Amino acid sequence: MSGEPDTTTAAAGPAVRVLIVDDHPIWREGTARYLAEAGFTIAGTASDGAQALRITAAARPDVVLLDLNLPDQNGAEVTRSLLTAHPAVRVLMLSASGERHDVLNAVTAGAVGYVLKSAQLTELVAAVRSASVGQPVFTSELAGLVLGEYRRLAGPGGAAAVTVSRGRSDTERSSAPRLTDRETDVLRLVAKGLTYPQIAERLTLSTRTVQNHVGNTLTKLQLHNKAQLVRYAMENGVD
Amino acid sequence: MAAQMWRVVSIYRVITLVYAAVLIVRDSGSYAHPAGGWAALAIMAAWTGVTAAEYRRPAGREAWVVATDLCVAAALIISTRWIDTAARVNAGAPTIPSAWAAAPVLACAVAGGPWAGLASGLLISVADLAEHPALPAGSTFSGTVLLLIAGGVSGYLVRLGLRAEAEIERAARLDAAAVERERLARGIHDSVLQILALVSSRGRTLGGEAAELGRLAGEQEVALRTLLADDSQPSFPPGLLDVRSLVEPFGDGRITVSCPATPVLLPAVTATGLSGAVTAALDNVVRHAGQDARAWVLVEDEGWQVRVSVRDDGAGFEDGRLADAAAEGRLGVSHSIVGRLREIGGTACLTSSPGLGTEVELRVGRT
Repeated sequence: MSGEPDTTTAAAGPAVRVLIVDDHPIWREGTARYLAEAGFTIAGTASDGAQALRITAAARPDVVLLDLNLPDQNGAEVTRSLLTAHPAVRVLMLSASGERHDVLNAVTAGAVGYVLKSAQLTELVAAVRSASVGQPVFTSELAGLVLGEYRRLAGPGGAAAVTVSRGRSDTERSSAPRLTDRETDVLRLVAKGLTYPQIAERLTLSTRTVQNHVGNTLTKLQLHNKAQLVRYAMENGVD
Repeated sequence: MAAQMWRVVSIYRVITLVYAAVLIVRDSGSYAHPAGGWAALAIMAAWTGVTAAEYRRPAGREAWVVATDLCVAAALIISTRWIDTAARVNAGAPTIPSAWAAAPVLACAVAGGPWAGLASGLLISVADLAEHPALPAGSTFSGTVLLLIAGGVSGYLVRLGLRAEAEIERAARLDAAAVERERLARGIHDSVLQILALVSSRGRTLGGEAAELGRLAGEQEVALRTLLADDSQPSFPPGLLDVRSLVEPFGDGRITVSCPATPVLLPAVTATGLSGAVTAALDNVVRHAGQDARAWVLVEDEGWQVRVSVRDDGAGFEDGRLADAAAEGRLGVSHSIVGRLREIGGTACLTSSPGLGTEVELRVGRT
């Protein structure tokens, strides 16, 4: 996986506390057992968003492994509430394939990344470790989504705007975040499955710089999302 | 619906009872037997009450009740000959029950449809004719026609209404069943997808034969999800296709497909040509980079052009070794990719370097 971090940094410290939120018991229990075997501490399990919020307050997990589709709220909503109440917690989404919009919403709401449910368990372990130290879990699928999202925000709409609920005004477009050329290059290589060291080699950068570029692309989207929410709230008279 | 029809019959009967009462009060002075007139009115009032009560409940709407209803009305019509004077009858005076006698015709129509309505209308007309032995052409004749029409038409309308009601009910039942089935299916689909993802993940983690099972489960998960997603897809302008929906099914354990979250629309011919080239590129990967090579497909919509990249993590080769590549047959395949792209007005470009795999980049412009 392109997003795999060097796992040595996180492995040394105290065990990472993980909260698993999934409405399918077989997934919840299976994942909990496997992560426990892999050396994580299971801070708890929850089957819906409300329960996840309650348990997070009590159990203080480092990472919340969150199923994208919960019966009561969607992943983006849960992510937002979790991060508002507990800014230090890292939210890692667990999603099935083909839920791109929801994944993108959750990631712009502040999740550090997402792992496909069909991913190998080793990938899941690497992703949870990466999330626990606050590194974005940037799969190639996510890179494709993020590239597309930047183009959607910058673009005039056109054909790509079919699923967008409302048109974007000129002011919105000019305030839209943009990728630098370098960031675009990095993202495209991530999307094509290159690892950070491979990207570093190809672009003659340090691996650290590649990581920073990747992290920045996500941070910009999240900040933009937050600004949009604040603007929406002010325009609609919400305190 | 049927209950309303029967209520209409009862309401009609009450209204016409009032009308008959007014006529009897007005004319009783001229009757041969005024007491008979009052008795007839009493019978009509009583019968109005009885039928109203009977027709309210489905059990009371039996054929014999309706038949009795008809006989009572016919008898009251014929009784006019005894109650009223012959002179008045022959001059065309109204019968004792007058319009009230049409109520059982309506009842028959409601109970038995157009033919029963027609037959009962005929029977009441016969009673009318028997009451007027010296047939004056005018009023009685048009009265007869009106009765027949009322019986036939109302019977027909009632049938039509009942059938429409049954249709609406059936449609509503089917609708409800479909909604319920959909709800159940959603739950089942979700469970199946979750289990397939689980098998895919665990199987590939275990390796060996389990990995093969895992790979198959993963493929089915993607296939089923794509199938389900089709229902909810927004409709595109005619002639356009979403490139993502063509390329996405390639994704499996070894091939990762990355797309934007929004549709990438191209004319159908262009889109299928593009996905055909992707198929060829992926075949190329399997043939030359080996069964175990991984591949990444990236779909990008840049507005003025659509770019699809297919990269593998095989050994790759130096650009200078293109001759060797041609010898291996690799170039032949890439030529076919270039050809496909040229057909749809695009370009294809093959790059490779040792250790970094091979990449095919396909671009199609938007006009």
